[in-house]
Amino acid sequence: MTKKYPGTYLKRDEMYSLPGLVRYKPTAKYSFSAGIAQTKFLEGLKKGKIIGVKCPSCGRVYVPPRAFCEYCHVPMNEYVELPGTGEIHTAVISYISTFRQRMDKPEIVGVVKLDAPGYTKESYEFAGLFHRFCGITEEDVISGKAIGMRVKPRWKPENERTGSVTDIECFEPVES
Amino acid sequence: MRSNIHVKDKVAIVGAGITLFRRRLLETPRELAWEAAKMALDNAGLTLKDIDCVVIGTAPDAFDGIHLNGEYLADGSGGFSKPTVRVYVGGGTGVMVPIAAWWHVASGHCKTVLAVAEEKMSPAHPHPQGVFAYIWDPILERPLGPNLIWIFAMEMRRYMHKCDAKKEDIALVSVKNKRNALDNPVAQAAANITVEDVLSSELLVWPVNRLDISPVSDGAAALVLASENMARRVTDSPVWVEGIGFTLDNTHWYNRELGFPRYVNYAARLAYKMAGIERPWKEIDVAEPYDPFDYKELHHIEGLMLARPCEAPRLLKEGWFNRSGELPTSPSGGLLGVGNPIAAAGLMKVAELFWQLRYEAGARQVKKPVHRGVAQAWGDLMQAGTVIVLGN
Amino acid sequence: MSWWKPRSHEDVIFYPGRQETEEYVYTPGIHGKQFAEALIKGKILGMKCGDKFIVPPTTFCPDFSEGELVEVDTEWTVQYYTEVYRDLYGNQLEEPVVMILVQPLGWEGGLIHYLKPGIKPEIGLRVRPVFKPEEERRGTIDDILYWEPY
Repeated sequence: MTKKYPGTYLKRDEMYSLPGLVRYKPTAKYSFSAGIAQTKFLEGLKKGKIIGVKCPSCGRVYVPPRAFCEYCHVPMNEYVELPGTGEIHTAVISYISTFRQRMDKPEIVGVVKLDAPGYTKESYEFAGLFHRFCGITEEDVISGKAIGMRVKPRWKPENERTGSVTDIECFEPVES
Repeated sequence: MRSNIHVKDKVAIVGAGITLFRRRLLETPRELAWEAAKMALDNAGLTLKDIDCVVIGTAPDAFDGIHLNGEYLADGSGGFSKPTVRVYVGGGTGVMVPIAAWWHVASGHCKTVLAVAEEKMSPAHPHPQGVFAYIWDPILERPLGPNLIWIFAMEMRRYMHKCDAKKEDIALVSVKNKRNALDNPVAQAAANITVEDVLSSELLVWPVNRLDISPVSDGAAALVLASENMARRVTDSPVWVEGIGFTLDNTHWYNRELGFPRYVNYAARLAYKMAGIERPWKEIDVAEPYDPFDYKELHHIEGLMLARPCEAPRLLKEGWFNRSGELPTSPSGGLLGVGNPIAAAGLMKVAELFWQLRYEAGARQVKKPVHRGVAQAWGDLMQAGTVIVLGN
Repeated sequence: MSWWKPRSHEDVIFYPGRQETEEYVYTPGIHGKQFAEALIKGKILGMKCGDKFIVPPTTFCPDFSEGELVEVDTEWTVQYYTEVYRDLYGNQLEEPVVMILVQPLGWEGGLIHYLKPGIKPEIGLRVRPVFKPEEERRGTIDDILYWEPY
């Protein structure tokens, strides 16, 4: 392992001053279909409801809903309303944005394990959502007090809801 | 006991090559693929004419900024006019490449395979983080403005909670791997740092600091795999592929327990079964678990059954996983120390096992005698596990 | 498929998205850098691989040996052409643009480029590059404005 390894390192400004450097700005736009099951879910959010779907074979209730059970591989179309309450599975404090810029105010985000039939307390899978948390402090996250905390959705005012996951402002502690 | 897996041919690795791993390289992706592939061929004492089939690995096209990146890389990988395929399972790709090469040879379809992995993350601006935005669900996740580090932070937080592990316990992985990388001539992020340095580096998403994470890199790696007959003809020290395993979990990562990597565990069980390994924690001598984040190495050590769940942090503290320890992990320096050109980083781990099992790792050679090693990568949304067991 | 109730397009919610990467920056590579430097000087480089000559130069030859850079010193002809009537977004162009593949006589490979506006394309047409003024050249393929017959 004494041979020379190929590769020519460039400093940032060396790269920008290279002859023949090509810079290109992509402009692609997309339109994503929510599909049938997710559309049900999004319509539910607009009405302030958390909608799940039940597998006729294993009985798991899925949130977010999908059109088929990924474990039994059977179609699912029995939609059920859930209370929306649950517990925090994990929570973190973000100081950076999508593009890694520092944020003025840190944001607490994580996973909510929702109360839903079809699972035991020990099961590896659960119904849940990825979302923001409010009403809990950074200290709660760091000390671990936040994990397992009971939470419920805080909804946006009805006239501001658009059928988006952001119709839920955040999940907040049940007792507040 | 070995499982009854019917193969036409035993498969060996007979050569390896690698480029420098750096934040920014002048070379085009296909030039990097060529440099690594050529070095692997030279190392095996073969030429491109001797190669029957080619397997290429590269992670999302959006990093290199070239669609159909596998096809683009085909000439640099020696794939023209040959059966050539690109495999892709996100971060798991690097180990999927030799797995695919294995089935090419084991099936009897090819006698020799050139397996090449390349990644250039530097083209995407302002930061490759923007590319990672695509991996989030466009409807249920992206509106929340996520950063890729979030998902790792969430998993790390869950692991810390489940195993009562502290940030300083986990930071030791970064310290160990960056130190190991000091002996690696291609390494990008080798350093002698302390736990304190990790904890005081820029806080990105609590519990993740800057030095908990592997860097952004360009680079390529390659292996030559051959059937038993061919391998014995070209080398006295072939390294055998004894077991492979790969599994995929569902995309709904927030519908699963994040504290234990089931997807890695399933893949590991498949690979161990094929290799006839019943007690991996005793029978594996050296390991290269995937370590894009420091906690991930511990998480994966447990998934690979090299330690019991939640036992890895304690063993790490005791020096168990050091190069001089009972079960050295990431002696290469890992992704944290060598760098993380995604697919190439995974293949680098397999190349490191190849060098370790041939006692060619120089200053990086682990203290204990080695007979068997395991390398693993993980990819997608906490989803894909790829595992390979090698023996000498 | 009793569970599958087809819905109209309007019943399903659609979400807009965009490509998140602001810009890609592509480095020219080993031969590419020298190819770029030559373009600035108004020259086109290719590479010699054994007894074959290939353009553009790609650092490595088909047999994996390293290519030797050489200047293209022979005449170029049009191998293929196509006429383009719409831009990338489907908008009608005022004038159709003729794209050509030009190849040096006896060489392999070639360059994709424009034919001089107003010229009728023809396979086998002998052409030469027309460069931008030297001070505007950056080493990219558009340092050549177009190819013209002579």
